[in-house]
Amino acid sequence: MSRLLPLQAAASVVAVALAGTTALCGQDSSTGRARPLSSDERKLNLESFEFIWSTIRDQYWDPTFGGLNWTAIRDELRPAIERAATTGQARQVMRQMIDRLGKSHFGIIPADVYSDLDEREQATGTATAGLDVRVLEGKAIVTSVEEGSSAATRGVHPGWEILSVDGTSITPVLRRIAGLDGNSTMLELHLTRAVLAKLSGAAGTDVRVEFLDGAGRRVIKQIERSEPPGAVARFGYLPPMHVWFRSRRLGDAGYIAFNLFLDPARLMPEFGDALKSFAGSPGVMIDLRGNPGGLGIMALGMAGWFIDKPNERLGTMHTRQAPLKFTVNPRQPTYTGRVAFLVDGCSASTSEIFAGGMKDLGRARVFGTRTAGAALPSAIDRLPNGDGFQHALADYISEGGRPLEGVGVIPDVEVKLTREALLAGRDAVVDAAIEWIHTRK
Amino acid sequence: MHLRRHSLPSLVLAALACASVLAAPDEPLPKAEQILDKFVEVTGGKAAYEKVHNEKFTGTFEFVGKGIKGTITSYRAEPNKSVAIVELEGVGTLQEGTDGTIAWETSSLQGPRIKQGDERAVSLREATLRAPIYWRKLYKHAETVGAETIGGQPCYKIMLTPEEGKPETQYYDKKSSLMLKLMMTITGPMGEIPAETLLSDYKEDAGLLQPHKVQQKAMEQEFLITIDHVEYNVDMPSDRFDLPADVKALTSKKE
Repeated sequence: MSRLLPLQAAASVVAVALAGTTALCGQDSSTGRARPLSSDERKLNLESFEFIWSTIRDQYWDPTFGGLNWTAIRDELRPAIERAATTGQARQVMRQMIDRLGKSHFGIIPADVYSDLDEREQATGTATAGLDVRVLEGKAIVTSVEEGSSAATRGVHPGWEILSVDGTSITPVLRRIAGLDGNSTMLELHLTRAVLAKLSGAAGTDVRVEFLDGAGRRVIKQIERSEPPGAVARFGYLPPMHVWFRSRRLGDAGYIAFNLFLDPARLMPEFGDALKSFAGSPGVMIDLRGNPGGLGIMALGMAGWFIDKPNERLGTMHTRQAPLKFTVNPRQPTYTGRVAFLVDGCSASTSEIFAGGMKDLGRARVFGTRTAGAALPSAIDRLPNGDGFQHALADYISEGGRPLEGVGVIPDVEVKLTREALLAGRDAVVDAAIEWIHTRK
Repeated sequence: MHLRRHSLPSLVLAALACASVLAAPDEPLPKAEQILDKFVEVTGGKAAYEKVHNEKFTGTFEFVGKGIKGTITSYRAEPNKSVAIVELEGVGTLQEGTDGTIAWETSSLQGPRIKQGDERAVSLREATLRAPIYWRKLYKHAETVGAETIGGQPCYKIMLTPEEGKPETQYYDKKSSLMLKLMMTITGPMGEIPAETLLSDYKEDAGLLQPHKVQQKAMEQEFLITIDHVEYNVDMPSDRFDLPADVKALTSKKE
């Protein structure tokens, strides 16, 4: 009875936490409060800087830091954090330090995010205009309109181009980001988020959007923002987020989409039930377009429904201490039809681990455009100053032997959305997947 | 259990064991069996252990600094049956256990799974009730390999080799004779995870001393388990250790 503890159960929990991976964080652009800091606040920022530096020193999977002199970076930036007169300046210095690594899944989450949320019984998330958007050939195009939203009521359609939001033209914003991120696999993700950020705001407020409609006319719509669909889910220090899951039949094929790999207690059974309902169908589409990831271990659990052999792996996570294999546990009944993953540049992290691993195992075919190449398992700590600090813990190599970070999942069949097809009510990626599902083996 | 043969007479060994509390750095190390038997003695004695036929404990999980918390409820019964239920916020329920033969785990995340090989062996060993008094059966070799300081406490370091599975290293406080640290490799489908476990806050429950605080570090992450409540010889339903339906379905399929 020296062993009160089931250590293996504990190990499973470690795996759950370690496998947490999402590209959601580190996108905050706030500069923080502009008021001067007290000496206590300066001290906390200094401690936070040291916490970040030492965490990376101790936990970054590559002890050579990709050739960087990590100690020299600390010495270089330490005077700047000591001088930082505002929270915004302090965060900028801390971001500067982690940006030197040039990897995804490193970021600072402002403390305000947590304090705002803690004050409310129900987390707010950010209210949306009910539109999903992608930037196609430099133009912000509506790709879907949430059923029942104010935008749907006001007649906004997929394929419409967004010209301005609350009087601010979108084009210069997109050009600026493209100029900064032109060579990054994360360009589409950043462009999309920039547009969606302009459309989002407090629930119940209006946003004035100028569109170019299907007939090429400029139209202005006053759209009321509302809470995103789905239920609020929390995990550790990830900000609470709305999670939705949808499944339906498209002809005789199955179709599953969900916006995040979170809330497993709800999503995992829904995923399994959906697949069981598609038993006997020729194929199923798993639409991960716009899905930025979440709990990595959910990809393993979902993959289990498609694989009947033990010891198959989606990939391997390499920490400084040891490799962690993403081994799939086969589940019954195995779905035996074809599997098509639909992805785009906004599919990140766990989405890439799932789609890339299933492709590498030869169990799925991937349709759409290259994913974000942001697939590092990460954790989030709270810093002494109250901010959150997301940091990648491991490199990730997909089962095919390639890293996903900075590369992404390259689709088997590249299909790009077009404004014309969207205006015609068609989703070219879904169409291509359905065609393959119906092709004779 | 096949302990290495030693030439020293047992009387001398006994004397060494008693003197271990005050042992100087250059003094010979006590034999592992003395340290392990002493642990049984200081945690309540063989007779107290033998009164235990089953146990239940409840506690909490916390990933240090990560904002992830949960609860754990564990049941064990003689000879080596167990069920542990972990409820993790934002994740759901994870369960693992053994009926003494089949070691299993199941969760909505990954589905049911039957453990094999080393992983099964560790589960059966961990499920053993009154394990401290059965260490000779559970390990084929035990050897004191050195002395180290753990958390400021001088400790003896013992290497234990089980019949099946990887060796474990345990550290026993020279002064209190309590185990303060355990190092082992946890084997599973995700690979081999080296884990370091610190045991503290020993408290007496029905005549037996148990650590109520356990910090484990694995894969650069740290979590803390706090045991809130321990009960022995509780009423347990007869099906407490039956395989869950989804695990049972796997065994039927195998047959």
